[in-house]
Amino acid sequence: MKKQDQRQLFERIIEQHKGILFKVARAYCPDEEDRQDLIQEMMIQIWQSMHKYNDKYKISTWLYRISLNVAISFYRKSSTRAKKFTELNEQKAETLVNDKSEKEKQLILLEQFISELKEIDKALMLLYLEDKSHTEIAEIVGISVSNVGTKIGRIKDQLRTRFSQFKS
Amino acid sequence: MNELELKQLWQSTNEKLEENFVIHKKNTEDLTQVKVQSLLGSMKPTKIFALLVGFLWVSIGGYALSSIYLNSFAEANKFFLFSASIQVGLTAIALYVYVYQLIRINQVDITDPIIKTQEILSNLKMSTLWVTRILFLQLPVWTTFWWNDTMLTDWNLIQWILPVTVTALFTYASIWLFCNIKYENRKEKWFQLLFNGKEWTPLMKSMELLEQVEEYKG
Repeated sequence: MKKQDQRQLFERIIEQHKGILFKVARAYCPDEEDRQDLIQEMMIQIWQSMHKYNDKYKISTWLYRISLNVAISFYRKSSTRAKKFTELNEQKAETLVNDKSEKEKQLILLEQFISELKEIDKALMLLYLEDKSHTEIAEIVGISVSNVGTKIGRIKDQLRTRFSQFKS
Repeated sequence: MNELELKQLWQSTNEKLEENFVIHKKNTEDLTQVKVQSLLGSMKPTKIFALLVGFLWVSIGGYALSSIYLNSFAEANKFFLFSASIQVGLTAIALYVYVYQLIRINQVDITDPIIKTQEILSNLKMSTLWVTRILFLQLPVWTTFWWNDTMLTDWNLIQWILPVTVTALFTYASIWLFCNIKYENRKEKWFQLLFNGKEWTPLMKSMELLEQVEEYKG
């Protein structure tokens, strides 16, 4: 593929699928400033991997792999800020939960739950919430379809407990 | 709240936020102009400096020691010669591990599934432990390089007690650390104390990540 065609394809992919980058970055990098850097790093990795794209996978599978791999490895740069955010986020969740609508409360709780998950569990939860099939999740994460079911089931149990604790 | 409602809540919130998320065409174009960073370009100046010093140390040390071995072995202080040889040899091995690690990190395929990529990255990061273990192994030779033949002939037992004790302690500590600095001991108190600084955070995080990878593979 010519450089010019590759460039156009890259721009099209980014425009059409920017949501994937945004969602992954939001889940892994709550700090706004760091998130910009993370998204830029994802885009650089996508551009540099363009020649490796294998069309046996869906473009979304390929993009999720890159963006999640970059996000998980990003802790090297942003661990200090992420820690600061966790504290802020918890405070925010505590104060906001009292005076928001039921839906907003649940969203805050869900976001807090996601932020507390371990890196790979977080990837799985994100893909589950995005309604990805177990087969696609298995291709992105690199585990068997049955293992995807087991792991998601376990995370959902934790989430259920969290929501029931909140209600009571 | 049931599963469907949860997913809907998540997706609708993201949709709203995504509407405000704009990637300017100019930025995308600029990114495609960025040249692939070379291995050297992606390294921090401190790492380049450490690598240069290491290379210089091993090259100069290696050259100096080989000329002693070849030209003046008989007259040389054997304690110094053997201590320095062990030190330079171990530094060379550590340097090799370090360079190998840097090259391999740049060969990792980011488009592979998460478990595979993260396992390789974490394992590579953890090979830093090897560098630390090898460097600790040098400890005893720093206590013997100044020994000489006069000590053997002129010193009495009391004079020998201190240097031998120090060397014995350093030898014990270095062998113990060499054998015990490993992934399996990551939860031990002494291990966490030893790797407690900010510079070790990526290494400790890699261990946590490897634990998660193992959980997923198991």
